Amino acid sequence: MLERLFELLFKYRPVVFERGEFAFAPPWPAVVVLVLAIAVAVPAVLLYRRTGGRLDRRDRIVLSMLRVTAVGILGFCLLRPMLIVATVVPQENFLGILVDDSRSMQITDGGDASRAERVLEAFGSPTSPLVSALAERFKLRFFRFSETARRLNDSTELDFSGRRTDLGRALDMARRELGGVPLAGLIVVTDGAENGASGETAQSILQLQSDGVPVYTVGVGDRRYARDIALRRASAPGRVLAGSAIAVDVELTQSGYGGTDVELVVEDAGRILTTTPVDLPRDGDVTTARVHFTVDEPGPRSLRFRIDPRDGEAVTANNELAALIVVEDRRPRILYFEGEPRFEVKFLRRAVQDDEHVRVVVLQRTADEKFYAIDVDDEDDLVEGFPTTREELFRYDGLVLGTVEASFFTHDQLRMLADFVGRRGGGLLALGGRRSFAEGGYAGTPLADALPVVLERRPIEGDSFFAPVRIRPTAFGATHPVTQLGTADDALEDRWRSLPALSAVNRIRELKPGASALLEATGDGFDDPVPALAYHRYGRGRAAVLAVQDTWLWQMHADIPLEDQTHETLWRQLLRWLVEDVPNHVTATADVDLVESGTPVTITAEVSDSGYIRVNGADVDARIVAPDGSESSVPLEWSVQRDGEYRATIVPNQDGRYEVHVDAAQSGAPLGADVMYVESGDLGSEFRNAELQQDALERIAEETGGRYYDLGSVETLPEDVSFTESGTTVREERDLWDMPILLIALLAFLAAEWTYRRQRGLA
Amino acid sequence: MVFLRETPQQPAGRRADTEAPLHRTVLGTAALLAGLGASTSPSPLIAQDDVVLDTIAPPERAFYFTRAIYSGFRRGRFGSWSVDFPKADRQFVIGLRHLTNIDAYAFEHPVRLDDPRLRQYPLLYALEVGYMQLTPAEVRGLRSYLLAGGLLVIDDFWGSREWANFESEIRRVLPEFAIEDIPLDHPLLHAFYDIEEIVQVPARGRGVNGAPTWERDGFTPALRGIHDDDGRLLVVINWNTDLGDAWEWADDPWYPLPYSNFAYQLGVNLIIYGMSH
Repeated sequence: MLERLFELLFKYRPVVFERGEFAFAPPWPAVVVLVLAIAVAVPAVLLYRRTGGRLDRRDRIVLSMLRVTAVGILGFCLLRPMLIVATVVPQENFLGILVDDSRSMQITDGGDASRAERVLEAFGSPTSPLVSALAERFKLRFFRFSETARRLNDSTELDFSGRRTDLGRALDMARRELGGVPLAGLIVVTDGAENGASGETAQSILQLQSDGVPVYTVGVGDRRYARDIALRRASAPGRVLAGSAIAVDVELTQSGYGGTDVELVVEDAGRILTTTPVDLPRDGDVTTARVHFTVDEPGPRSLRFRIDPRDGEAVTANNELAALIVVEDRRPRILYFEGEPRFEVKFLRRAVQDDEHVRVVVLQRTADEKFYAIDVDDEDDLVEGFPTTREELFRYDGLVLGTVEASFFTHDQLRMLADFVGRRGGGLLALGGRRSFAEGGYAGTPLADALPVVLERRPIEGDSFFAPVRIRPTAFGATHPVTQLGTADDALEDRWRSLPALSAVNRIRELKPGASALLEATGDGFDDPVPALAYHRYGRGRAAVLAVQDTWLWQMHADIPLEDQTHETLWRQLLRWLVEDVPNHVTATADVDLVESGTPVTITAEVSDSGYIRVNGADVDARIVAPDGSESSVPLEWSVQRDGEYRATIVPNQDGRYEVHVDAAQSGAPLGADVMYVESGDLGSEFRNAELQQDALERIAEETGGRYYDLGSVETLPEDVSFTESGTTVREERDLWDMPILLIALLAFLAAEWTYRRQRGLA
Repeated sequence: MVFLRETPQQPAGRRADTEAPLHRTVLGTAALLAGLGASTSPSPLIAQDDVVLDTIAPPERAFYFTRAIYSGFRRGRFGSWSVDFPKADRQFVIGLRHLTNIDAYAFEHPVRLDDPRLRQYPLLYALEVGYMQLTPAEVRGLRSYLLAGGLLVIDDFWGSREWANFESEIRRVLPEFAIEDIPLDHPLLHAFYDIEEIVQVPARGRGVNGAPTWERDGFTPALRGIHDDDGRLLVVINWNTDLGDAWEWADDPWYPLPYSNFAYQLGVNLIIYGMSH
């Protein structure tokens, strides 16, 4: 509408002004025109100056300005203004038309016809007005693109079934294909919902920019569906221990169903694991639903998250998401070192005694230089007390440190404790107690560096501290897997509130930057809640503190029923979480583990020796077992950027699950091995984020010198494409003196002058 | 019957219960106690009253040597539960604190079986159970205590008649679990000291000058236990032996040192085991 109004007033469409160069071509010398204008304007001004009577100074200025402006417009026309634009020579140039052939084009939005049908109507026939108009000016070359791109002889070759959209690859291919001919530009007809793996779009645009090839983008579809529910992303842990509580954040958005309650279902191989009610957010807002469940069966599990489709949804394929979680059937070992006999030992052991996926070895100092080791593998294990070498300590995946004073350890052992987390990647949990934290003299030690809390100065001798505290989850901790107590989500808060008070004997007030509190303590001794359970990442590992000394009261307090499992559940979840992602000597990961077939996947292996020092000179190989059972081998190369990091890229072409066995050796001696999984197949990627990506398409057009259109405005495309510097062109002069806006302005100023004069009694 | 402790009422964690740095052996501890002599002799610490027992919740100390107050035949000053009380308790804790690094409350700590706070003290000592006659509330309290995770240590009852009474009472508490001998290779006997033999510990005045160590028909000492279905030890039974007397009279130069020695060893092992298993 605006563009039509512009054309009515200015004679030409805006694109002509954008592309053209402004110039004057006066029929007489410009000096003559100037003199003529002055000759008309000056007497009028002088006349007004001499006119006395009812005219004051302001009237004379206004009237003079109106007259001068009118004369100026006239003079401007006499100078014969014009635009000089480059236009293509008909049939001398080629035009590439790239049509999105992916599955997202099957979506029906913005009307009764699908995106594909509307595209075919506009571009699918040589007799369509648009194609005819283009064909009059250009030699047309059609391409289809999805995950790949190729020349198109006929629109019937379009089946709109591509699993991915890789715009960068398509632009690159068209540019190369038309590289040897005069190319006026490229027209891309797409919804812009790109999900290709090449990541070449930015590079392709840069190349087109340097070649001077404009890209005209034609957007198809709606920027936002009228009615749709979409699961965007699921943040799931890659590996978990069998039977562990798992928390997955699922991002979802919707339009047209705001405020509706739906159920988010989690399935494992068709078996429903959990169903979580979700209150849908306002239109366009993204909300995150946290779902909790456990998976017992070991091995790679493809979990499905779905919301049942509602009536009238534009796309139902995006109501479902998948996540690959490897459920590990291993039993990490945790060393619990306690500096004195405490009931915490008894009840912690009791809580995890039946857990097949966590094993706690206890070393308890029972007197000076006397230790009691429980559940050791070998009777000689820990016989000398706490490990004195890294090799001995690093055999454990986790370390629980009870109440033991810092001076018990040598400086090297304290350094070793920090290295256990930072270098080995182990999980450390420091418990509260009379000899823990600052009260135990840890302030300023290497271990204090590793802890997530700030240790205050050593308390004054004899200034003992004891505070009954009530424990509750923080806002962040309320949805964390550790704090789930096996109750329904809505009952969780009440459950925590009902637990008996514990006691704290350590002054811990402040978290370190980057640390998170899962539980907080309140009590008479505190103005504000203080951290009770907090953690942070430290190097490769995770360090946590539990700043109370008697969680066993949650088992033995009179208010706790015999059948209550709170204490057991908390400790099982806490210890599993502590060690679930502790790395081995070789740890293999993939940048993405669920991919559309044909998408390249980068495998990364972190390799370290027995002391968990990263090894750069290792021989690292990946043995890949494809879904059909065929095997191949790929060497992993040192990435150079990080010590001990090796990489390789594989392309899973078969639908199904790939097993990747990574082995590392140094000088023939094995360092370790790991197994990871990649699942490829039809993930419905085309239906996620498949709304019209208008901003991205506009940006592509703008950066290359093209324009963005929708199917409603595309009829101007043939003319717009004609104004290009690209290809074989001629320069045209377009007169501007006869623009309606000039005549209107001239008349308006003259009329204004006459009206003003009438009001002052001069006419 | 409700009891009031008359010990000083300052907070438990701030008692002047300082530790001597030495005496880390049983013999040393026994010698220390002998040296203390009259200073540790019992004073009237218990009186009848209608005031609720002053237990500490949550407990400030890591360990309270808790004696079970149970109903039974009148024996001792306040009932059979109070035999050797409180001197035995105090002297055992003194030894415990010298021999180990347990943060133990330095005084006696009796709690009724029907007191709901009993569960906050997961190790419980009871003796003279041959005279025990539990009320239904005590049966419920003790059963809840044991099934929740508490450990009951029984001591100082002799002969078949007292056994029969104890067995009858404990059957009321734990009818579903059997009483079994605890073998010498049980971790309980190796948690702190390696105990290779179960010694009969006599009461004061026995085992010296030709007097026998046994009482009634309790000729052979036994260490027995009750385990739950998961193999957890719920009750440790010292039958035909009297650890409490050995603790109580460890400061008596006429009490045979080997018996005190063994009583402390077994007592310490029971505490270390009970706090970790």
